[in-house]
Amino acid sequence: MKPKVKFLPVIIFLLITVLIWTAAACRRGDKQSSGPRTYKVAVIPKGTTHEFWKAVHAGAVKAGQELGVEIFWKGPQKEDDRAQQITVVEDFISRRVDGIVLAPLDDRALMRPVDEAMREGIPVVIMDSNLQGDNYISFVATDNYQGGVLAARRLAEVLGGKGKIFLIRYLEGSASTTFREQGFLETITRDYPGIEFLVKDQFAGTTTESAYQLTENLLSRYPQVEGIFAPNESSTFGALRALQHFGLAGKVKLVGFDSSVKLIQALENNEIQGLALQDPMKMGYLAVKVLLDHIQGRPVEKRIDTGVTMATPENMNRPEIRSLLEPDFARYVR
Amino acid sequence: MKVAGSGLKKIAGLAGPFVGLILVITIFSLMPEVSDRFLNLANIKSVATQSVIVALCALGMTLIIVSGGIDLSAASNLALSCVLVAYAINLGVPPLLAALVGVAAGGTIGFLNGFLITRLRLVPFIVTLGMMGIARGLAKWVARNQKIDAPLSWLNELMVRTSKPSWLLVSPGIWLMILFSLVMAVLLRKTVFGRHAFAVGSNELTARLCGVRTDRVKVVVYTISGLLCGLAGVMEFSRLTVGDPTVAMGLELDIIAAVVIGGGSLSGGEGSILGTLVGVFIMAFLRNGCTMMGWPNYFQEIIIGAIIIAAVTLDRLRHRQE
Repeated sequence: MKPKVKFLPVIIFLLITVLIWTAAACRRGDKQSSGPRTYKVAVIPKGTTHEFWKAVHAGAVKAGQELGVEIFWKGPQKEDDRAQQITVVEDFISRRVDGIVLAPLDDRALMRPVDEAMREGIPVVIMDSNLQGDNYISFVATDNYQGGVLAARRLAEVLGGKGKIFLIRYLEGSASTTFREQGFLETITRDYPGIEFLVKDQFAGTTTESAYQLTENLLSRYPQVEGIFAPNESSTFGALRALQHFGLAGKVKLVGFDSSVKLIQALENNEIQGLALQDPMKMGYLAVKVLLDHIQGRPVEKRIDTGVTMATPENMNRPEIRSLLEPDFARYVR
Repeated sequence: MKVAGSGLKKIAGLAGPFVGLILVITIFSLMPEVSDRFLNLANIKSVATQSVIVALCALGMTLIIVSGGIDLSAASNLALSCVLVAYAINLGVPPLLAALVGVAAGGTIGFLNGFLITRLRLVPFIVTLGMMGIARGLAKWVARNQKIDAPLSWLNELMVRTSKPSWLLVSPGIWLMILFSLVMAVLLRKTVFGRHAFAVGSNELTARLCGVRTDRVKVVVYTISGLLCGLAGVMEFSRLTVGDPTVAMGLELDIIAAVVIGGGSLSGGEGSILGTLVGVFIMAFLRNGCTMMGWPNYFQEIIIGAIIIAAVTLDRLRHRQE
């Protein structure tokens, strides 16, 4: 037994600490190399598996190819993990990219990392969802409130202006979907007195599975329902699966948001009566373009709208709707 | 006893994880795209800050694993504490007190774990699996299934990349991590309690026959670990600036992985604080490096999975040689 051995880990640890300290004390030496180069831009989505984000990715890559920008596409490791998205932003600040495009998972929690990037001279463009404060270059997004209004009009149209409906919410704190829900709720309440909400405060959660379960439970509880609005892809698909499971698809009118292969099929089969479509490719494209404009010293607008369109079983084969339903992103990303 | 091996053997025992860490750091610092950025001090500070939360939990987990247990509720415990801090601040409680509430809540959950394990004579896996759901559910309940916004306070300065009083050089969170690592290392290696924890983990029956009050040791072990998870929850709140009941979903597996990579044995009686910290940093640097390279997430998940298996295999080989 040699007692001093037991101190070994502690000593090593102290040494490392002291090393870090001394290194910290005498630093300041990272210079930016100058000269012509391609810009490096980090694009940080909320997640990487939804169709929507693949289209955003494609748009960003398209902009990158056209404008000569290298795109780093990196989401949080687990979908919808606020803490990990903060980590990703910090890592790109360390990498000293030329700019960051961020779709914040939380309008509040991502504020500080964005402030930090801006303070270190890395411009940040926010896309898709809002961020509190205004310490960013530009906000490129769908007018989500307007999307909710469109969805309300469409659901009222297919219901003939009266009926009992569910508003299925997505996730508390997710700004974009909250605006859609608000637009929907306010339009129905204001313009369509014949429509009654059976449910308007239930949250579907982030996965198709959780939305599926919620809708199933709601359908068991309120069999008299005639219409449903769901504010994003996963909740729309979950609601659709539940309706199919109950044999109610097509009978209960469903208006959703965003598109995917399965949702397009359902639209063809008239199981979904309307899909409010954003233009995610345009969003990814414009976000990168605006960022580059700013980096190169051109003035940019603080708020850029990328538009919403309603796709219905009737109009879905028109080319302009088709390109929104199935953005041609295979050319840009796998 | 294993604890009292020769110095050389101990260095050999630590070599495994250290080699891994050095390998990870070397690989990324040789990548031409990020070579000038990866070993940059600002980045190291940033990685250290990102490691604080996992490290605090892993310190407690090391103690638990050394004593032959496991804690699946660590991440849920952290989330509960994170939410409670935000809740308390919104009630107008001073930040320091709110932080203490978070730590105390963590300690309570930990104590309950230990209490149930010893009183109901259930395996830790089951008790903490149940507690994982209970704590997560409580967190969501307190937060009414949403995140809680709370006004900014000095608590939110604990985990910044650039430390606020600049003489600190690194964020207070990193100092806390260092402080508690030292405390835990001393506790584990230099105190009677630490010896007892090793004894319980190596062979509980023998330990009891030798007069170790095994139940009491276990309750204290789980309580300490719970307190550390509570503290990690405060740090998480500091970082997020909101109380998020869904935070750290699945993090318990990262925490356990860190301990295992660092030489902890799930059959108990083995593990070291230094090894655990190395395990934490291996994963943190890997994540950071993959992000800086712009590599997709599935890469790093596969790599970390492979590292866990490789680390444990090396550990087994070393044991066979001994």
